[in-house]
Amino acid sequence: MIGDLLSGEAPAELTGDVCVVGSGPAGVTLALELAKKGRQVILLESGGEQYEEDSQALYEGRITGHQNIDVAASRLRQFGGTSGHWTGMCAPLDPVDFTPRPDMPDHGWPIGRADLDPFYARAQPYLDLGPYRYDFDYWRPNAPGPALPLDPTKVFTTVYQQSPPTRFALKYMETVRAEPKISCWLHANLVDIALNAAGSAVERIEARALDGHSVSVRANRFVIACGGVENARILLNCRKQRPEGLGNENGLVGRYYTDHMTIETTLVALDDEIDATLYDEQHTIGDTVLNFGLKIAPDEIVARGLNNNAAFLIPQFDDETFNDEFRNYGWIAFSEMVKAFAHGRVPERFGERYCEVVDDLGRVTTGAYRHVMRKVKPRSRPVAFKLRQDAEQSPNPDSRVTLIDEVDPLGFQRVALDWRVTDEDLLRLRRTHQFIGEQLGAAGLGRMRLGISDPPDHDIAFSGYHHMGTTRMHADPKRGVVDADCRLHSVANLHMAGSSVFTTAGCANPTLTITALAIRLADHLAATLA
Amino acid sequence: MGKITRRLLLGSVATVVAGGAVYGGSRFACQFVPRHHPDFFSLLDLAPDNPDTRRIGELVVAEAAPAGFDAFAAALRLRPLTGEAATTDCASTRRRLVQDQCAIDFAEGRSVVIDGWVLSETEANLYAAKLLRPSIA
Ligand SMILES: Cc1cc2nc3c(=O)[nH]c(=O)nc-3n(C[C@H](O)[C@H](O)[C@H](O)COP(=O)(O)OP(=O)(O)OC[C@H]3O[C@@H](n4cnc5c(N)ncnc54)[C@H](O)[C@@H]3O)c2cc1C
Repeated sequence: MIGDLLSGEAPAELTGDVCVVGSGPAGVTLALELAKKGRQVILLESGGEQYEEDSQALYEGRITGHQNIDVAASRLRQFGGTSGHWTGMCAPLDPVDFTPRPDMPDHGWPIGRADLDPFYARAQPYLDLGPYRYDFDYWRPNAPGPALPLDPTKVFTTVYQQSPPTRFALKYMETVRAEPKISCWLHANLVDIALNAAGSAVERIEARALDGHSVSVRANRFVIACGGVENARILLNCRKQRPEGLGNENGLVGRYYTDHMTIETTLVALDDEIDATLYDEQHTIGDTVLNFGLKIAPDEIVARGLNNNAAFLIPQFDDETFNDEFRNYGWIAFSEMVKAFAHGRVPERFGERYCEVVDDLGRVTTGAYRHVMRKVKPRSRPVAFKLRQDAEQSPNPDSRVTLIDEVDPLGFQRVALDWRVTDEDLLRLRRTHQFIGEQLGAAGLGRMRLGISDPPDHDIAFSGYHHMGTTRMHADPKRGVVDADCRLHSVANLHMAGSSVFTTAGCANPTLTITALAIRLADHLAATLA
Repeated sequence: MGKITRRLLLGSVATVVAGGAVYGGSRFACQFVPRHHPDFFSLLDLAPDNPDTRRIGELVVAEAAPAGFDAFAAALRLRPLTGEAATTDCASTRRRLVQDQCAIDFAEGRSVVIDGWVLSETEANLYAAKLLRPSIA
């Protein structure tokens, strides 16, 4: 069922086996999996069924570090969470992302890729993806073109799958409503986590609506699934019994914030005879939409001291009709509106999207004109390609989320996000590109012109809107906030779900891993609940 | 002005004939004397001539200062395939040899970054040599 705290109909106290806070991909997946296993779930969501200004404003905070990022606009505070925003690129993390690296302090998870494989396979259908196959060999027989003939022990072709993208509100809201094992409450903002008298475990969670209605939730286990920034904010704010905040005995909550550096730069010119069709647009094989890119082999990543990266080839055309530089917020808003109207719906956040279009009318007109022209003009051959990537950052304790004095209407202190982009990480990416360039040269395929200068210009890096690392997983409580079961080292029954537990972020977009970890956590909770 | 005598005329003709014979003979004989210069310069013609390659050439020269044309030419002759290319008449073979040498450079880690371009040492040397190529009057 789905109830609304604003209605005043909620009882003063709710009880269940597990209380899950947050109904984004992490929270909804967890709740559905637990319900499947017969567990009674209380699911608390801060927002409503749709976008609301006052709920969204609870996210607001300050940017103090690298400026090409924001805290509020990039997330959605409503049922389904930020899945209402996401673009749907998916891939699992690579084995190398989990392995500790002697050359990189704080790198590596206490679990390995093999531990997650079965859960990745189960996560695929949640996100409307195809089979759990991310190796090019599997797709090769039906691929629309050959892979570049590069030495695969150096650089190989990688596969990403594309979710439609699944909007959790659209896909799962009715399932949640119909599920007797789930009691979901909207407008229920977590405002406190109360520990038992011994201070060892959570006794109850307090939730409040913006109009003052409140509810107390008791459960055996509690899971915070409120997103990569908010998870840390909650632990830091709930400090009535532990002045430093929950799980923050070692000052780690909020530290190691990491994001993917979205960067489109570096030109690749391929010889005229080279067939790059595989890479220069999305392809559908069977029912699965795929993107193909280039990755450096794990042994080379480690030997050369690089970060992980998947570079996608964005074609550049002489004929502007085929270039895509008009794609920005205005265009995205316009396409969302067109899609919604085509399905007979009024688009969500119509006013906001309409204004985005109005602000950017020039580009939207260019985009619309080019889309029409592309239907009548034969596509010309790209003259070059730019490398686009969500590049990995190395773990950095100084990149962090902290609390500021300003409070929101519920009394929670707001956050400052100090995202650090370092010379070192940008130069690693430059060396990654250079290595790809050398391999293209060795195979006689073409040449590369690097777009990352030395010293690097930080302004080329934009947030991938993948907020990760703020309650990192580590076997050692001095080096991580949660253990391998996503449980706070220092609180017996409090777990974190979402990308805040990522110890290292690799270069895969996070939501598939978030979903896999949520399924894994649901299995663990169901199995260990009395 | 002096008179044109029969003797002068015959002498001139003889001189021209003898000169022609010497020149023709020399041309014939010289075919058998190995000379790499013309082929080496054809090698330089493989490098495209545009503002980018000229700038790369300038930067390579600036970085390698005080190296002159001979140093770059020697470096090119030193590599097995460009060395062979410098003595090969066939333009397409020459091109293939240079391309293969570039690929080998990359594979063996002899690459350089100049003005952002990731290039093989061979290419960089070619652009520099082309820039410094002595003009043959
Ligand atoms: C523009 C954009 C593009 C993206 N593209 C991709 C992509 O291509 N691939 C990919 O993998 N990822 C992508 N992402 C990231 C993706 O959206 C997130 O990884 C994903 O939504 C995280 O899921 P989550 O459940 O952990 O958090 P969220 O989706 O953020 O959900 C958190 C939920 O918690 C609720 N909440 C917050 N605070 C409280 C509180 N105090 N009490 C109760 N409830 C609370 C919120 O209302 C929300 O519903 C993109 C993100 C953006 C912004």
